[in-house]
Amino acid sequence: MHTLNHLFRKLFNSQQSGLVIVILIIGVVLSFFAGFHVDHLTGQKINNFINAYTLMQTGTDASFFAIMAIGMTLVVISGGIDLSVGSIYALSGIAMAMFLRSAGALSPVATVTIGLSISLGVGLLCGLINGVMITGLKVHPFIITLGTMWVFRGIAFVASKAESILVPDALTSVAKADFLGLAIYPVPMLIMLAVTALGALYLAGTVMGRHIYAVGGNAEASRYAGLRVNRILVGVYVVSGLTAGIAAFVGSSYYGSASCADATGYELYVIAAAVVGGASLSGGRGSAPSAMLGAILIVLIRQSIRTLHLDQNYEWIIIGCAIIVAVVFDRLNARLTAKRLLTESARARSEEREA
Amino acid sequence: MENIHPIIRFEGIGKRFPGVQALRGVNLEIRRGTCHALIGENGAGKSTLGKILAGLYQPDEGRLILDGRAVGFRSPRDAFLAGIGIVHQELAFCENLSVAENLCLGSLPAKRGFICRRSMKAMAEQTLAVIDASLNVETVMAELSMGQQQLVQIAGALAGGARIIVFDEPTSSLSQVEARRLFKLVKSLPARGITSIYISHRLEEIFELCDNITVLRDGCVVATKQASAVSEKELAAMMIGRSLDAYYPRRTTGSGGKTELLRVKNLSSPGKFSSISFSVNAGEIVGLAGLVGSGRTEVALALFGLDQQASGDVLINADKTLITSPGEAMRHRIGLVPEDRKRCGLILSMNARENISLAILEKTATFGWVRRKKENELAQTYFDRLRVCAPHVNALAASLSGGNQQKLVVARWLAADCRLLIMDEPTRGVDVGAKAEIHGIIDHMARSESGILLISSELPEVINLSDRVLVMRNGRLAGELPRKQASQGAILKLMAGVAA
Ligand SMILES: Nc1ncnc2c1ncn2[C@@H]1O[C@H](COP(=O)(O)OP(=O)(O)OP(=O)(O)O)[C@@H](O)[C@H]1O
Ligand SMILES: [Mg+2]
Repeated sequence: MHTLNHLFRKLFNSQQSGLVIVILIIGVVLSFFAGFHVDHLTGQKINNFINAYTLMQTGTDASFFAIMAIGMTLVVISGGIDLSVGSIYALSGIAMAMFLRSAGALSPVATVTIGLSISLGVGLLCGLINGVMITGLKVHPFIITLGTMWVFRGIAFVASKAESILVPDALTSVAKADFLGLAIYPVPMLIMLAVTALGALYLAGTVMGRHIYAVGGNAEASRYAGLRVNRILVGVYVVSGLTAGIAAFVGSSYYGSASCADATGYELYVIAAAVVGGASLSGGRGSAPSAMLGAILIVLIRQSIRTLHLDQNYEWIIIGCAIIVAVVFDRLNARLTAKRLLTESARARSEEREA
Repeated sequence: MENIHPIIRFEGIGKRFPGVQALRGVNLEIRRGTCHALIGENGAGKSTLGKILAGLYQPDEGRLILDGRAVGFRSPRDAFLAGIGIVHQELAFCENLSVAENLCLGSLPAKRGFICRRSMKAMAEQTLAVIDASLNVETVMAELSMGQQQLVQIAGALAGGARIIVFDEPTSSLSQVEARRLFKLVKSLPARGITSIYISHRLEEIFELCDNITVLRDGCVVATKQASAVSEKELAAMMIGRSLDAYYPRRTTGSGGKTELLRVKNLSSPGKFSSISFSVNAGEIVGLAGLVGSGRTEVALALFGLDQQASGDVLINADKTLITSPGEAMRHRIGLVPEDRKRCGLILSMNARENISLAILEKTATFGWVRRKKENELAQTYFDRLRVCAPHVNALAASLSGGNQQKLVVARWLAADCRLLIMDEPTRGVDVGAKAEIHGIIDHMARSESGILLISSELPEVINLSDRVLVMRNGRLAGELPRKQASQGAILKLMAGVAA
């Protein structure tokens, strides 16, 4: 028990363990109230929530948000915001699908390589445009990305003539690879975990990551400490665009098509995920694993409306309230933990002194 | 009768912050119409005591007795209404608003919900007249010097009918001349029946202004003495709990090496300073004195690549270089301890370790990865050497006392291993013990062939540390004094522009 506790503490900080606990509680409550249905093939009684299909659907949904939420977390830590991620997703997906359609038949490996490079490349380029405009024109990121949100989606719309474009099967067979033939498709979730791990390592372990926190905390002081503030800021928007590109690649491939209306409104979910995960919109605070948990929490709340057969019309209200409650609780929890930690360390120190 | 009863009595005041007992069982009486000094090391609890009196913090235990009645202030407004004003260590203003708007913020004169500009202006001018300050009340706060901002704050407190004013390190950001003006004002307060509580790390000004002195250490009152009955040395010993050899030890050696680290020729920046020429040799400490606003800080910023308008020649190690960014300056191993720690120095949302290591992080990293062990050791070293008073090296910078925050900024640049370190008011708000330590480190750096350009408004600091003193006046170099001739009088004359 003790080692388990220790492991838990090592894996998640207190704020994250709060999120994990909330997610588990919602999971338990959901499986309790979800009711059962009878599988017509096997005749078994199956929980409406705890079943492979629903869990996987929820996890897959969360993956796309979470991947983008990692990029968004970087942006939010730097003190900015990126409203264009949904549009970058759509544009990357469309660009990839259109190019592959015009390229005709290719080997599967070539298809995947080209598809991946195009979607990531377009995402990266869009992020670069955002970042360069924000730092070069010295306009607030809210305004720039609000503008590019429409521009990028507009380009996707014009380019695709508002058609939905199919992507080659080679991509789908990768993104929707079946796990042991059990009709379980773990690839999006694995990519989510990989992106989260990379994001966490980047933020906690690298000099660049530390610099993002510094710039978000006090840009002027960071400049005085010799940090290249503009370069750091361009970097976070590039990463944000890149994660949108990754999400677009996985998403379009998984569902087999891309359309200019894909991911409409995702930016708000993604921002919400980062903030529910404890990122501070005034900059300087946030973490990648928390953002992933935030995305899972939001998707879970959305899922519970379906599973519990609540009136779909209340979805926005419930999600809105849940986000506010989550953030308020998080701040409370953070304050309490800070208090506890400080008291503990002070006690340890005074004991040390006496000894 | 009136004068016998204390105007304020603190009875067993205790205050806890997460992990820190900032005050414990503080008993203190402040006599009516006196100037009472509060001194102590950084983090001793001086500001906290002042803030409790001003209603910013509520004590966890104990009572506050004002005029014989127990009072409990729930907000700064309560305290203000009871006649208590405070001049903060970190000046707090709406920088984007005008002087008039700031002065009248609590009670903006309005007609039918619209601000009446004319009466606001009149009100503000009246307020400033109380302390004979002449300022254009329509100036935006951000454009004023620190000293002027402080005057506005004092005027505001006095006009609000304050009977007690808490000054929390008021001179830490003032020039000598501005400080003298403040002293005159503080000295005039008893005659108006106003009691002042004066917090400062500068003992000489405390002896000049105060009647009684209370020493705090680790949140406890060590002693309350009459100013006429103690010496600086005794006070310093009481504050740090051990005796300090010399309050301002004068550097013994230091002729300065021969290799030239920096030569500046005709450095100018429109509207800030013009034709500045000087040099700094390896192993030399060069003092830069001058009034606030004389352009000292601006020269420092230009040398550190933070002034795009600057023109002229800068030679580093005899190479002609034009530094255009701090990053470039750091590649030439130039560092700058900035003057304004809140705006340009600290990252409040980060902890002490991260603040200390910020400038050197990139250099100590391997392939972009932070070496945590190395970082920890480095931060801990300077954290201990400068005696930062905080629960541990991972404590949030925002929770540290003013002087301890300053230590973090100084530590960052001491750790950065600079060849030429420009220090702009490095010991502002730092206690005597840590000040001696910082002076020691500066001295050590000079001995190991680094060059130091030291800007300070504290003349004894400049005089005792510097091998040469440059004096600036109105954006120009007014003169250069070798160590032997750098006396307080000579520097002051150059600063003020009186023929020597
Ligand atoms: N808001 C806060 N949160 C947590 N700790 C605090 C807070 N304010 C003060 N402290 C702690 O309380 C102690 C006393 O702080 P205080 O600001 O009163 O010191 P001080 O005597 O004014 O020091 P200085 O000379 O540096 O201004 C310090 O250890 C400080 O870290
Ligand atoms: Mg203080």
